[in-house]
Amino acid sequence: MTNPIALLGRAATYLLLSLAAFVSIFPFFWMIVGASNTSADIIRGKGSPGVALWDNIVKFFNSFDMVRVLFNSFLLAGLGTALTLLVTSMAGYGFEMFRSRFREKVFGGLLLMLSIPFAALMIPLFVLMAQFKIINTYQAVLLPSIASIFIIFYFRQATKAFPSELRDAARIDGLKEWQIFLFVYIPVMRSTYAAATIIVFMAQWNNYLWPLIVLQTNEMKTLTLVVATLTSGYTPDWGVIMFGAICATFPTLVIFFLLQRRFVEGMLGAVK
Amino acid sequence: MIRITSRWRNTLAVALTGISLFSVTAASAANITVWCWDQNFNGATMQEAFSRYQASHPDDTIKIEIFDKAAMEQKLQAQLASGATDGLPDIVLIEDYRAQKYLQSFPSSFEPLNSHVDYSTFAPYKVELATLNGQTYSIPFDSGVTGLFYRADLLEAAGFGAADLENITWDQLIEIGKAVKEKTGETLLPIDPTSSDWIRIMLQSAGSWYFDADGNVTIKDNPVFKAAVETYQRLMAAGITTPVSGWTEYTGSFTSGKTLATFSGVWMTATIKANPDQSGKWGVAPSPRLDGVEGASQASNLGGSSWYVLSSAPQKDLAIDFLSEIWAKDIDFYQKILVNQGALGTLLAARDGEAFKASDEFFGGQPVWQNFSTWLAAIPAVNYGIFTEEADTATVAQIPAITSGGNVDEIIAAIDAQVRQQTQ
Amino acid sequence: MPALVLLGIFMVYPILWSLWMSFQVGRGMNFSFGGLTNIMRLTQDPVFIRALTNNFLFLAIQVPIMLVLALFFANALNDSKLWGRGFFRTAIFLPCVTSLVAYSVIFKSIFGLEGIANQSLLFLHVIENPINWLSDPFWARFVVIAAITWRWTGYNMIFYLAAMQNIDRSMYEAARIDGVPGWARFWYITVPLLKPVILFTSVTSTIGTLQLFDEVNLLTMGGPSDSTMTLSLYIYNLSFRFMPSFGYAATVSYVIVVLVGLLSLIQFMVARDRRA
Repeated sequence: MTNPIALLGRAATYLLLSLAAFVSIFPFFWMIVGASNTSADIIRGKGSPGVALWDNIVKFFNSFDMVRVLFNSFLLAGLGTALTLLVTSMAGYGFEMFRSRFREKVFGGLLLMLSIPFAALMIPLFVLMAQFKIINTYQAVLLPSIASIFIIFYFRQATKAFPSELRDAARIDGLKEWQIFLFVYIPVMRSTYAAATIIVFMAQWNNYLWPLIVLQTNEMKTLTLVVATLTSGYTPDWGVIMFGAICATFPTLVIFFLLQRRFVEGMLGAVK
Repeated sequence: MIRITSRWRNTLAVALTGISLFSVTAASAANITVWCWDQNFNGATMQEAFSRYQASHPDDTIKIEIFDKAAMEQKLQAQLASGATDGLPDIVLIEDYRAQKYLQSFPSSFEPLNSHVDYSTFAPYKVELATLNGQTYSIPFDSGVTGLFYRADLLEAAGFGAADLENITWDQLIEIGKAVKEKTGETLLPIDPTSSDWIRIMLQSAGSWYFDADGNVTIKDNPVFKAAVETYQRLMAAGITTPVSGWTEYTGSFTSGKTLATFSGVWMTATIKANPDQSGKWGVAPSPRLDGVEGASQASNLGGSSWYVLSSAPQKDLAIDFLSEIWAKDIDFYQKILVNQGALGTLLAARDGEAFKASDEFFGGQPVWQNFSTWLAAIPAVNYGIFTEEADTATVAQIPAITSGGNVDEIIAAIDAQVRQQTQ
Repeated sequence: MPALVLLGIFMVYPILWSLWMSFQVGRGMNFSFGGLTNIMRLTQDPVFIRALTNNFLFLAIQVPIMLVLALFFANALNDSKLWGRGFFRTAIFLPCVTSLVAYSVIFKSIFGLEGIANQSLLFLHVIENPINWLSDPFWARFVVIAAITWRWTGYNMIFYLAAMQNIDRSMYEAARIDGVPGWARFWYITVPLLKPVILFTSVTSTIGTLQLFDEVNLLTMGGPSDSTMTLSLYIYNLSFRFMPSFGYAATVSYVIVVLVGLLSLIQFMVARDRRA
């Protein structure tokens, strides 16, 4: 049952989507091309693939202890994501499930906290870490980011759509609150979790300003810091930087691909 | 809910303590830590210096942490402000423009070195900028002495030789640029409208700055400042420049032949020489001078930096000993970094070494290092003060107005007002 | 609640510290109590006023465009009959996973004087002379807005998609069988059910835009002539580039907090009204 208007609408949708996809992908194409060219060619604006890819890869892996750097990045991002999801989703669930006037006020306060620019908090946070004697450690990088207000806020908004009948039913079945959270809430909200995982992992992975301040030594550096270091200097090697940028983008993409399937399942999953 | 949280809290605590630390500790020998930017220039020269020091100190080691320059400055400022000395290095590189800001904002964070170093052996302007209340804090490193780098082959094609570029004024340079454009259609200079480098070069060449010797703002009633802004405006109006955005595009412009020349600090040599196919095609002339300004000279400075020792340094004595042994004495070392990194040190005695006297094939056999050294000795010392960044920002904010031919007096008044407001 | 403990230590303390700082005046580490001096200084500070204006400009233009686009894409991609769904979804989300460094390098080269943007426009005869994208105040703003939109549209789309996945399919089916057209299904079923998430994205985008830092820092450094200077970048400069005036920087931070508070309140009100 198709009519011309619907067809036209469909065509317009495809056109817009294709345009958006092109605009989104083009810089990536440019990055991959860049990684295969020499620095001089990139500066000249060469837009075709070159033959310097292998050289750039070798140079990149020789510039820092890359194994260690990748290990740091994955450890921080992985651990950070797991802890953040746990803490924030509980907070979000709690906020939505146990209502009281006091909670609304706390929540409003949280929102305002979210709005303070990080640059203004860096110095006191650093002093705090120095007092705890944990500068240049993984803890120092992770601790301030775990209780992400932004993600608490997201879980809270998403929980509004969580059917409270489910919770009541589980209560009647004699489940404890933590069991409800674990066995009812988490499965039902899985696409929310999937989206949050992507977002949190991305934020942790690309975290720059704070690790820069608290991580002091090369052994502790993350990929983001390394790539940023490569771009400085009087004669940056753009080919190597482009390859570094690809490496820095890749893990988040993989996570996204894996979790996309979750989305699709979320669509089919009827809640029982 | 309460019961869950205690459970989770325990888990969290276990998880946190479970993250073990890979702390790398040196055994018995001491290890010096250095922070700087640019691996190929600063990092490599520091590495070279220490490898010489190791001849007499075989057990000691050095660890050079390379950062992106802006990031390192931010890191240092954040850490000094927090008052925590944990994790600070022994030696840190600071750009000359910012030296006084650090020395005055964070008193007693840096170590005075007068009792270890004979400062009369260094270029006076370098010593002055790192001196506060009679104490000097730096080991002067590289100079930013300026020159006009130009493509000799392409200018030759338009009928201009090396002699035509010797000791000229900015306005003569503009005329040359116009003639080149007419004859060959080529553009002489790239210009980054978001940078105040040209203004800074012009100011210092006539012994002036945004501030006077006591640190008072001297913008509105400063004839040199007015001459610099007017000259800049004439340069832009002459149609001999092409706008670029950012460092890469700027250096890419003259290294790829899109533009024929640039005036910059001596450290630009390394960037230019990174293109071996252009060997023999380049030349270097002295900086142009401002016309009709008292104290105008052909020598100026752009950038340059020095090494500082932190008061909190865990290996303070060793770091000072190392710096004074190599950086303040080793003439041979300065020859080597000049050849390998194109780093022009400011230890005056180094000028008599072999490398400094050599002529450079890349620059058509000109004695470039000799020339730079001569100009270096003539750089007028100025007081960079503590607000150079703010003044730069205020100046850059007016560049579009200057370029579009705005009224110079009004523009200068606006810069002056903003600088005064920002530096109260 | 562990979240609250962590927040207490790692947010509340620094926030209180910065609040106290905002009443301090002085250079570097020498402070003294200045009362309302900093607030007076704000009113006479041309850079602050320029930054504030820019923030509002970006907010008014960029956030609506981005959210409408994100909602449109999410809805299109939520249609199980759409061909190439996975591809489009990934493609549109791609920009926000790019590392910042890569992204700034790419944008700078695309919008360089001889970059591909100018080359294409010249080729198509849209313009006569190349545009100085990053050194012209108007175009620099345009590039910044384009860059933020490019980077964050897919990001917001993910939130919408996730929320749409949580909607029970049977509702759509019922509406379809009753002959409700596509746009009406979107407007009367999807949008109301998505309201909490739409509110979420509009509040967070507002906060994000008021705190805009990365893009302007990397692309333009706030230039040319402060035309892309933002409050966050100004705070950064005051703390880490200029002679450090942490007190004044903290005062500027609280301007952002007050603005966010007001704007969020307005957004919550609007959402509540529409629910009634």
